[in-house]
Amino acid sequence: MYEPPVQRVIDELARLPGIGRKTAQRLAFHLLHVEAGDAVRLGQSIIDLRDQVRLCVRCFNVTAEEQCAICRDPRRDPTLVCVVERAQDIAVIERTQEFEGRYHVLGGSISPIEGIGPDQLRMKELVARVGNESITEVIAATNPTVEGDTTALYLARLLKPLGVTVSRLASGLPVGGDLDYADEITLGRALAGRREL
Amino acid sequence: MHLSWLDLRDFRSYEALAFEPSPGINVLVGPNGAGKTTVLEAVAYLSGLSSFRRTPDASLIRTGADGAVLRGGFQKEAGETRIEVELPAAGRRRVLVNGKRPGRLADVAAIAPVVAFLPDDLDLVKESAGIRRRYVDDLGSQLAPGYAAAVAEYEQTLRQRNALLRRDGPATDLMSLEVWDERLIAAAVALWNERVRLTLRLGPTLDAAHAAVAGPGELLAVVLSPAWGSDDERREDGEWNPERAARALRDALSARRRRELEQRTTTVGPHRDDIGLVLGRRDVRAQASQGEQRSVAVAMRVASYRLLRERHGHPPVLLLDDVFSELDLARTAAVVEMLPEGQVLVTTTREDEVPVGGRRWAVGDGKVE
Repeated sequence: MYEPPVQRVIDELARLPGIGRKTAQRLAFHLLHVEAGDAVRLGQSIIDLRDQVRLCVRCFNVTAEEQCAICRDPRRDPTLVCVVERAQDIAVIERTQEFEGRYHVLGGSISPIEGIGPDQLRMKELVARVGNESITEVIAATNPTVEGDTTALYLARLLKPLGVTVSRLASGLPVGGDLDYADEITLGRALAGRREL
Repeated sequence: MHLSWLDLRDFRSYEALAFEPSPGINVLVGPNGAGKTTVLEAVAYLSGLSSFRRTPDASLIRTGADGAVLRGGFQKEAGETRIEVELPAAGRRRVLVNGKRPGRLADVAAIAPVVAFLPDDLDLVKESAGIRRRYVDDLGSQLAPGYAAAVAEYEQTLRQRNALLRRDGPATDLMSLEVWDERLIAAAVALWNERVRLTLRLGPTLDAAHAAVAGPGELLAVVLSPAWGSDDERREDGEWNPERAARALRDALSARRRRELEQRTTTVGPHRDDIGLVLGRRDVRAQASQGEQRSVAVAMRVASYRLLRERHGHPPVLLLDDVFSELDLARTAAVVEMLPEGQVLVTTTREDEVPVGGRRWAVGDGKVE
């Protein structure tokens, strides 16, 4: 145990994901020795994060406005929606610069073990968007896990009767990779999802 | 391939153990309770990431310690593969292969395969189907990562479907259940595909191994049968057919839906299948003599050894836990016949019982010397 002001910081840091006791200790002592301005800026940025950031009313991306930058952008294709599990996934897809539609953040994937069913995700909100907006295709970009695949299947069941196309991100081979090094599952999925040339 | 070194910390009775077995035959001699089997268990754990005594990980940690660490180096032609496992008393297990976390845990079983002959191997034949499913699935996972991935995918899907049924019972949302049904069927067919493919190779190998152990005689065959009735429902003109299998499971699930909603669990699928052994026309479990059953059990381990050697191009590490006192001369000869090829770790209480040469190690007081 350290003096309370030190111990408090260690305890708080250790609650963050991926940070153990030792790392928390190192960070706390680091903060003790940096210039005062640096520590204050860090503290203020965390406060601002909570004060100023909220969820986009349309897609539930994080934003400082009522709608996120992507939803506000008139050049975005309003007929195309990419469904992701978390807001962080949007940045990953944006980096490809291949996608010109909008997004919808579900907030996770279906996992009865963790008590997460469709009602715990933003499914109803998605159905409402399909009703209110000019959406024609929904791309399920959930993770290629048992839970992510199941969520994609559920989306298809839910949305197809509403007259929209539901597609799934293809699983495939890493570009520039060698067939020899592909694992059998990836290769199997790539085969199952093959395309005519 | 052979195990060139083993390091244990706080694993069962061992506070710290460093053991460097020879690449050939190693005989571990010591009284009961000296810790001989524990050394074999550690090697098998590094290879397959679970205990062959089928005890939970927590029981592997030395009493009073805050966690166990197992490390081992497997020497192959291409160099050494280091496998390390940390089992903390609280928190998650950590597995490293050559210092890195493997992409999928399921891939580890095929890296450094071992085959273990255990004193209670007779259970393989005498017990209910669960132990034979594990035998077949473990062997498949050691042969190919794809098999292990199919097992992992099915088990996770099953756990999720069961969690849904357990939570909501008769009030389960039907659309959710139907989606899980589809996922379960897809995962089940993938696992059945693997099991069928494996059985096609295992059958003849097992029969040949059995002839070597028991002498030529009746044909020994492996029979896969689904929990709901006949295997014929999954076949077309006698051939395994994935589409028919999917349809058969879909029918079985809908026929049982009401019961499953009430029982709150999944009652059909690969996790309930029987894997039977038939000698001539007799079911080995119900109709064979004790001696015949023992031969079949030995043949199952010998068959694993042969298939793994064929698949990997080198013999797996062989672990023989106090088996020579259990086997008669003829069966012993069949086991000994395959010894000279690769690395063997044998345990015994009486050195004179072990009919082979090799390096002798004295086990006791937490040491192997």
